[in-house]
Amino acid sequence: MTEARSTRVPAVVGTLSAALTVLAACGVFLVAPEDTDQGIIQKIFYFHVSIAIASLVAFALAGVAGALYLRTRDEKHDELSSAAVGVGLGLAVLVVLTGSIWARASWGTWWVWNDPRLVTFLIVLLLYGAYFMLRSSADGERRMRYSAIYAIAGFASVPLSFYSVRVAESFVHPVVFTQNGADMPGSMLVWYVVAQVAVLGIALTALLLQLSQRRAEKALMRIKLRLQAEP
Amino acid sequence: MKPRAARQLRALVLKDLRLELRTRQTLLAMALFALAVMLIFEFAVGSRTDDLTPFAGGVLWATLALTAVLAVGRTWVPEREQRVLDGLLVAPVPRLALLVSRIIAIACYMAVVELLAVPLALLLFVESPHLGDVGWVVLVCLLADLGIGVVGALLASMAVFTRARDLLLPVLFLPSLLPVVIAAAGATHAVTAGSNDLSEYRGYCTFLAVYAVIFGLVAYATYEFVFDD
Amino acid sequence: MDSGTAYVVAAHAVIVAALLLYVVAVALRTARLAREAELLARLVDEAQTRREAASAAEPVAAARVDA
Repeated sequence: MTEARSTRVPAVVGTLSAALTVLAACGVFLVAPEDTDQGIIQKIFYFHVSIAIASLVAFALAGVAGALYLRTRDEKHDELSSAAVGVGLGLAVLVVLTGSIWARASWGTWWVWNDPRLVTFLIVLLLYGAYFMLRSSADGERRMRYSAIYAIAGFASVPLSFYSVRVAESFVHPVVFTQNGADMPGSMLVWYVVAQVAVLGIALTALLLQLSQRRAEKALMRIKLRLQAEP
Repeated sequence: MKPRAARQLRALVLKDLRLELRTRQTLLAMALFALAVMLIFEFAVGSRTDDLTPFAGGVLWATLALTAVLAVGRTWVPEREQRVLDGLLVAPVPRLALLVSRIIAIACYMAVVELLAVPLALLLFVESPHLGDVGWVVLVCLLADLGIGVVGALLASMAVFTRARDLLLPVLFLPSLLPVVIAAAGATHAVTAGSNDLSEYRGYCTFLAVYAVIFGLVAYATYEFVFDD
Repeated sequence: MDSGTAYVVAAHAVIVAALLLYVVAVALRTARLAREAELLARLVDEAQTRREAASAAEPVAAARVDA
């Protein structure tokens, strides 16, 4: 029946992701070669970048779900959109925390303003924190509509923020930006991909859990209201 | 735009401008606020150093960003207070006309305040200002005002229908505005800080134009959903 | 352990801690949902018994009116 099927999907995804994560961790720490320039600190990037990308995927999903809601007015799309923003926001917090540790390890300070990726995720925290404030300020149909519009606008803001910081930095420090990861040797790249898939799997599990719990809460609320209506 | 819609748009814009000219309430508040913020920057930062020229562009745009919150916050408020908004929504005015009229109104408010704030910032914070600098900064202002107008019109139109709209609007508006602040401050700095690097100025101005276009598209696609059916 | 390794360990420890915190949050939420479901089940049972008692009382009352 449908109930059994819907609990199986998160379980399968979750188990697979957990296995992949263990595999990735082993690969990153035991197999992947150490970077010649940055040393062991470079190993932070495998999961730091994976989490960053997963966060952006979550926000993209939220934007798409928002657009779908505006088109169909189906409540399920609003549920997906807000759950995706929640997952993305949690991942973004992790990006900022791990990024700060990386900054401390590389530069000696707990924060750097010249790294576009790090600064963009700080801005992202603000942008999508405001999403939840918007949701709590409206009710019912309007809340869903406005959340959808803001999810779309927010996702447009992310690349704009990134490029504004990048452009500004390129004028202050006119050095060629090496994309950490673009020119990785194959022996590193394979473990990066494993880590990325693992993190995406965990994010998906969290999203599915979030959705099922939200639906359970709503169903219980419906029953409670029915019972209270009866004499 | 079809001629009828264009006429409606012109009517809406004129209504806003005439209202403002009659009371001058918003403009006066914005001007005083901008001046107060610039003083805050001077006392908070300026007393540590003699020459604030490297920070002039930044101070100017920090001031204008905060002042924009005031302008944007007035979106639809007088209409709601006078119960005119329902009439506007029921009338066969295309939502796009409402959006564009709001963008123009916000941009005009910002332009008027910039007439005051830009010369003031140049005089107060730049060591040896050139008169020619003002022309370059004017273009930055025009592009930035467009971005501020688009983002402000969309977000404020939503905020106006929610609880705690005064609390919500800055939280919603300022993070989205950050790219404009970064680019506008950078462009102004390129002009005033003496390096006069044209490629830098062009890069920032291009970014401001791209920002206005992208957010313009987002606003165009979503604005009709802001109002209840 | 040199300082570089310490930072790498710290970064991954933060990730693990976050995962564990999330698991705890999900567990708490699930427990709350279970409690509410149990409460609602009890309310449904009570409403059922009340309804049965009411319908049991009626035929007696009807019989008394007839007689």
